[in-house]
Amino acid sequence: MIVSVGPASFVLPRRTLLVTLGLGAVLVAAMIAAVSLGTMTVPPGDVVRSLLTGGTDYDLVVRELRWPRVVLGAACGAAFGLGGALIQSVARNPLSSPDVIGVTQGAGLAATIALTSGMAYQLIAPAAMAGGLLAAVVVFAFGARTGFAANRFVLAGVAVAFALRAGIEVVMSSAETIDALRAQIWLIGSLNGRGYEEAGALGLVLLLALPLLLWAARALRTSALDDDTARALGARPAARRVAVGALGVVLAAAATAQVGAVDFVALVAPQVARRLSRAERPPLAASALAGAALVVAADLAARLLLAPTQLPVGVLTAGIGGPYLVYLLIRRRR
Amino acid sequence: MKPASAPSTGVAETSPARREAALRLAGQDLVVGYDDRTVIDGLSVDIPSGQLTVIIGPNACGKSTLLRTLGRLLKPRGGSVLLDGELLHELPPRRVAQRLGVLPQSPLVPEGVTVADLVARGRQPHQRWWQQWSPADQEAVQAALADADITELADRPVEALSGGQRQRVWIAMALAQQTEALLLDEPTTFLDVAHQVEVLRLMRRLQQGGRTVVAVLHELNQAARYADHVIAMKHGRIVASGPPADVITAPLITEVFALACTVIPCPLTATPLVIPNP
Ligand SMILES: Nc1ncnc2c1ncn2[C@@H]1O[C@H](COP(=O)(O)OP(=O)(O)OP(=O)(O)O)[C@@H](O)[C@H]1O
Ligand SMILES: [Mg+2]
Repeated sequence: MIVSVGPASFVLPRRTLLVTLGLGAVLVAAMIAAVSLGTMTVPPGDVVRSLLTGGTDYDLVVRELRWPRVVLGAACGAAFGLGGALIQSVARNPLSSPDVIGVTQGAGLAATIALTSGMAYQLIAPAAMAGGLLAAVVVFAFGARTGFAANRFVLAGVAVAFALRAGIEVVMSSAETIDALRAQIWLIGSLNGRGYEEAGALGLVLLLALPLLLWAARALRTSALDDDTARALGARPAARRVAVGALGVVLAAAATAQVGAVDFVALVAPQVARRLSRAERPPLAASALAGAALVVAADLAARLLLAPTQLPVGVLTAGIGGPYLVYLLIRRRR
Repeated sequence: MKPASAPSTGVAETSPARREAALRLAGQDLVVGYDDRTVIDGLSVDIPSGQLTVIIGPNACGKSTLLRTLGRLLKPRGGSVLLDGELLHELPPRRVAQRLGVLPQSPLVPEGVTVADLVARGRQPHQRWWQQWSPADQEAVQAALADADITELADRPVEALSGGQRQRVWIAMALAQQTEALLLDEPTTFLDVAHQVEVLRLMRRLQQGGRTVVAVLHELNQAARYADHVIAMKHGRIVASGPPADVITAPLITEVFALACTVIPCPLTATPLVIPNP
């Protein structure tokens, strides 16, 4: 479908548009359900009324307790979905998502060191962010040497991820038990006790990324083509890979820094969006919405499953994502 | 690809201004290689403007390497490629892509892309982020699909096509780019004999429409019949270049391909006809 406004014109594949709208509806439904359900059930109508106008009996539960957490879930899910979509597109490989190639683990190691060395609480998120970026630089350096040949890039990432995970174990086992426990809790991403503060930080990152995302959406139009063909069309594949890849890493690392390692969202959400819209690469808007809906729904399930115990959302996403990764590996073999 | 007599649709139409000053492409003292290997060492070449040039030579002699260097896909280590006197590798990539189209030897087929969608990507260099589709784009894509004889495949996914059909999709993508010059690396591979001839005739029509066309071909008799200018390569060097009748001779073919052969005039066109000795 072609949308034209005066001299401007944009191409919107009808199916992608429908999928984007559909996922948006799913996200809204998941957010309302997440606010509505829990130890105390709030009727959906009152959820909406409380959010829009306030003045209902449920304002405390809805506006103070549940909504901030849901907003954070949506924001980090969107950042994970976008980060995954960008990295998967430039590497032309669904496996090269930030949690498989070491970004999450880099953030984890940095956070573990910060938590066990008694660093100030405010410095943990920046440290995690830096760790994630540093890990990405190492993996990208490997990738650049082999021209980002898909498989070697991913293998380098997996190797770095393993090394970092081993590093986390070493740091933890030499730390005080109480510190190790705090690190352990951080490592399994969770929305417990978090809210507007973290969501605000992520929202800012997403807002700043928006113009870059618009650019990336277009730059990626030749990303499914091989480098020669892309160059023949006037693209700069190497520069694009570094720029788009870096944007993806920043988004994923920012989300990890705020909520911990909510694993596999960055892997699964873009693939769901891609499969639904039958596109050759994950569509960005749909990936963001799928990621947001996935985290909100997973967090809801994590709260309800063993209520009153609240599971960390990372446990649930790992539970969904692990089997999906195996499925992807089996499919790629064929 | 329609019969040679049919008027070509859009693709062969260049603006009059362009036709007067056909694009000039030349390589000077080129040194090109991969990693630690040098494939081409000190090669100079002039591509005749507005003509159909065919590059021949044995496997691995550097034909694709030369074509990729001339098409800005590969940066030479030494020497320079000149496009209308300007250094090709220092021009903005998009501007080059508006004037110079390249069909690489074996492009990777992306998954989940339809024929029409892939061909439409040939329009990329003519588009802006705020102007991603125009009637001119639509026309160019339709004409390219028709010229490559794949209009009826438009909605099929490219990965579900036969080798020959895919090859014609890539040709259509290069055509949709509507450039003054086209560099085609073995455009006839995978094609049956009838489609081979159609592609050759299409190249001829493009040339007659004012374009500079360069193609790597393995079929010497086709080169002899359709080329204005033949470049014979061996071991990364140009052994001979000139009109087909001057280049495609028994001694030269025997030397370049290490194949004893006889060359006779074709009974239909009087162009050279290469027959390997029994
Ligand atoms: N990407 C690459 N990396 C390393 N070496 C390469 C690469 N591409 C080509 N070569 C080498 O460069 C030499 C010339 O290759 P080129 O592709 O130019 O040959 P060609 O004349 O096009 O052969 P063909 O007729 O088989 O297509 C060969 O020895 C080949 O092995
Ligand atoms: Mg070749």
